[in-house]
Amino acid sequence: MIGWEYPPFKAGGLATHCYGLTRSLADNNVNIDFYMPKTKNNVSSDKKNLKIKEIGEVDVFPYDRPDNKDLTGGFFEKVYRYNDLVVSRVKGDYDMIHCHDWLTMKAGVTLKEKMNIPLVLTVHSTEFDRSGWLNPNQWFIDIERNGMEKANQIIAVSNFTKKVIVDKYRINPEKISVVHNAVYPISEGKKQKIVLFLGRLTLQKGPEFFLKSAKKVLEYENCKFVVAGIGDMLPELIEKAVDMGIADKIIFTGRLSDEEVKHIYQIASVYVMPSVSEPFGITALEAISAGTTTIASKTAGFSEAFKNCLKVDFWDTDEMANKIISILRYEPLRKTLSENGKKEINLFTWDNVAKKTLKVYREILSSKQCDFYNQ
Amino acid sequence: MPSICLYFEVHQPLRLNHFSVFDIGSKRDLTLNYFNDRLNQEIFEKVAKKCYLPTNKILLDLIKKYDGKFRISFSLTGTFIEYCERYMPSVLDSFKDLFATGAVDFIEETYYHSLSSMYDDLDEFEEQVKMHRKKIKRIFNYKPRIFRNTETIYDNRIAKKITDLGYKGIIAEGADKILGGRSPNYMYKPVDTDLKVLLRNYKLSDDIGFRFSTHNWSEFPLTADKYAKWLSRCEGDLVNLFIDYETFGEHQWIETGIFDFLNHLPGEVLKYNHLDFVTVSEAVERYKPVGEIDVPWAISWADEDRNVSTWLGNDMQIACFNELKNIGRKLKEAGGNERLLKTWRRLQTSDHLYYCSTKGLADGDVHAYFSPYESPYEGFINFMNILQDLKQRVLL
Repeated sequence: MIGWEYPPFKAGGLATHCYGLTRSLADNNVNIDFYMPKTKNNVSSDKKNLKIKEIGEVDVFPYDRPDNKDLTGGFFEKVYRYNDLVVSRVKGDYDMIHCHDWLTMKAGVTLKEKMNIPLVLTVHSTEFDRSGWLNPNQWFIDIERNGMEKANQIIAVSNFTKKVIVDKYRINPEKISVVHNAVYPISEGKKQKIVLFLGRLTLQKGPEFFLKSAKKVLEYENCKFVVAGIGDMLPELIEKAVDMGIADKIIFTGRLSDEEVKHIYQIASVYVMPSVSEPFGITALEAISAGTTTIASKTAGFSEAFKNCLKVDFWDTDEMANKIISILRYEPLRKTLSENGKKEINLFTWDNVAKKTLKVYREILSSKQCDFYNQ
Repeated sequence: MPSICLYFEVHQPLRLNHFSVFDIGSKRDLTLNYFNDRLNQEIFEKVAKKCYLPTNKILLDLIKKYDGKFRISFSLTGTFIEYCERYMPSVLDSFKDLFATGAVDFIEETYYHSLSSMYDDLDEFEEQVKMHRKKIKRIFNYKPRIFRNTETIYDNRIAKKITDLGYKGIIAEGADKILGGRSPNYMYKPVDTDLKVLLRNYKLSDDIGFRFSTHNWSEFPLTADKYAKWLSRCEGDLVNLFIDYETFGEHQWIETGIFDFLNHLPGEVLKYNHLDFVTVSEAVERYKPVGEIDVPWAISWADEDRNVSTWLGNDMQIACFNELKNIGRKLKEAGGNERLLKTWRRLQTSDHLYYCSTKGLADGDVHAYFSPYESPYEGFINFMNILQDLKQRVLL
C-alpha cells in the first residue's frame, strides 16, 4: 500500500484512514507493506504482518495547492521525486497495489504495469473538492484521471465522491465501490457551551459560513465559538471576526495537537462542519463519538451515511444558526442527538472498512483468475 | 358464527410551516401562521384522489351490490372533516352517501386526534370528545355509540371515562400482553367498568394494512378468496379488522391490486354461510363479553411495542408533550382566548409528536414513517419553536 501520511504525522482524513485501514486489514490476516515519505517522527507498527516503510524525505504538505506562491517552485518535482523513489524501492512479491489520492497515483500506475498486478485506488478527495469547485487545476485533474482510468477498481469514500468521479472524470460507475470511513471513538467529557469548527481554514471547509452563523447566534445566546485549525484563510477570518464585533466570543486556536483535538471534542456541545465540498468528513464521526451534537453540510459524504445528526445547506447560515441555537436551548434535543449519535457510531468501525476493502480485493483477484482461465 | 367487523380510521394532520428560533415572538400581528396551508391542501387533494374518493365509490357500490349485507364503520377525525369542508366538500358528500345506505356506522374519537387521554386531568379529553360528537351530529345527524381513541390508545382510566360519557363500546388493540393467550375474536369488558371492548385482530388486520404487497411474505400474493378462507376458519364470535383508510390507494398503491382485493372481498366472505358483516354498534348489541381485560398502562395499535412509545418514546417528545400540557393550563387559567385555544388544540394532533420519533434510528434503520421532515430532530426543532411562540402569546 502506498500512502502519504500516517499518524502521528497527519494532516487530514487520509492519514486517519490509512492508519485504521491498515491495522484492521492486518487483523483480518492481510500482509501489508505500507510505503510513505520519511518524516521527523518515527512511524512504526506493532503488528507482525504490517510493516511501515519510510522512503526518501519529502516536505510537501498533501493539501497544499500550487497557487500557494511560495510553494510553486519545487512542488510538482517533489511529488514526482517521491513517486519515482517509491517505484524504485518497492520490491517483493505482492498480490495487489493499493494507493491513495493523486499524490501516490503515478507510482501506483507505474508499479501496476511493471509488476503486472492489480491496482486499487482509494479516492479521499478530488481536485474539485480541494478547490472548493472554484478554478480546479488541470494538472491535478489529469493525474487523477490517469490513475482512475488505470486502476482495476476505485474505492470512493462516499456516493457523493463516486458521483464526482463518474461525472467529472468520466469513469465507469461499475468500477467504483463506496466504502464509508470509520472512527476510533473518543470519550465524552464535561460539556460546555462551546460551538466548534475544526478543520483546515480553506474555502473548501466553509469557515466563513461558521462565522456568519456565529454572529447570528450571538445575538440570542451567550456561548463561545472555537475555530480550531490553520490554513490560508486564518488572517482573513480573524479580521472578519473583529469587523463583526464578535472577536471576544470567538477563539482561534491555531494548530492543535492530537491531545488538544480530543479535549476540544470532549467539551464542545455542538460541532459544525459547513464544508462547501466534503468527500466524507471523518471529523464529524470523531465529534459524535465524543457525544458532540453535529450539524453537517447536506452534501458531505458523511451526511449520506449518518442519521443522528442535523443537516444544513452550507450557505444557509440562518438555518445553521437556528439549529445551533436549538441545540443550546433545548436540552432534550442535544441529549437525544448525542445519545443516539454515539449508538450509531458503533456501526462505523475500521474493521467494517477493512472487511469491505477486502471484499474489493477478493473480487479483483477472482476476476483476474477468471481472465487467466478464459485465455 | 364469526361476524366480520370492518372499520377504517380516516385522518389528516395539519402540517406546520418552517418556523425558526428567530420567528419566536417576532410576528406580533397575531396572525398565527403555524400551518402550511399550501402543503396541506396539496396532500389532502392528492390523498382524496388516490384514496378517499375511489375507495368510497367502491364501498358504496359494494353495499348496493350486496343489498346492505356488506357493512362497515368509519371514524373521521375533526381535522379531517375540516379539510373536507375547506378544500373538497365532495369528499364529505361521498361519506354522507355511504351513511345514507344504513350499512355504515360512525365512531367517536377526540376531535383533534390528540393525546389528551394521556394528560393528568381528563377535562381537555372530554371537551375534545364532545366537540367531535357535536361535529358528527351536525354533519350526519347521528350520535355515535362506540368510541375509538387516537391510534387505539387504551387503558383502564380511559375506559372508565368513556363509560361515564355514555358510550356502549370502545375499540382497543388485541395485544398479546393484555390477552394472555386468549383470543381477540370475542367481546371483552374492562375491569371495574360496564363497557364492551372490541379487540383488533392485529394479525389479520396487518395482513391487509402492512403485508399486502410484501413480496417476500410467504402468503404473497394475498387474494380475496384466500383471505375469506382464513376468516371462515376463525374461532370466536367476532373478527375485528381495523385498518388505516389510506391503506387503499395510498399506503398500498393501486398497482398492488388492493382495490381488486377490496372489490372481491365481500363476495368471497358472503360465500360462507356462517360469516356475516356487522358494524361496530351491531357487534356491541349482538355479542356478550366473555372475559375481562385489565390495562393499567396504555396500549395502542402502533409498532411492534403496541404502547405509546411512538409518541412519547424519547426526551424530545416528552418535552413537547409537557409544553403542550403547560400551555393549555395557562391558556385555560387566563380565560381561554378562542383563537389561541383552537391553535393549541390543532397542535395537539398526535402526528406532531409522531414526527419526532427516533425509534429504530440508532440502529441506522430507515424508517418508512411518513413525515414532512427530513429527520425527527428537524421535526422537534420546528414544533418546539412553534410551541415557544404560542407560549409567549399566551403569557402576553
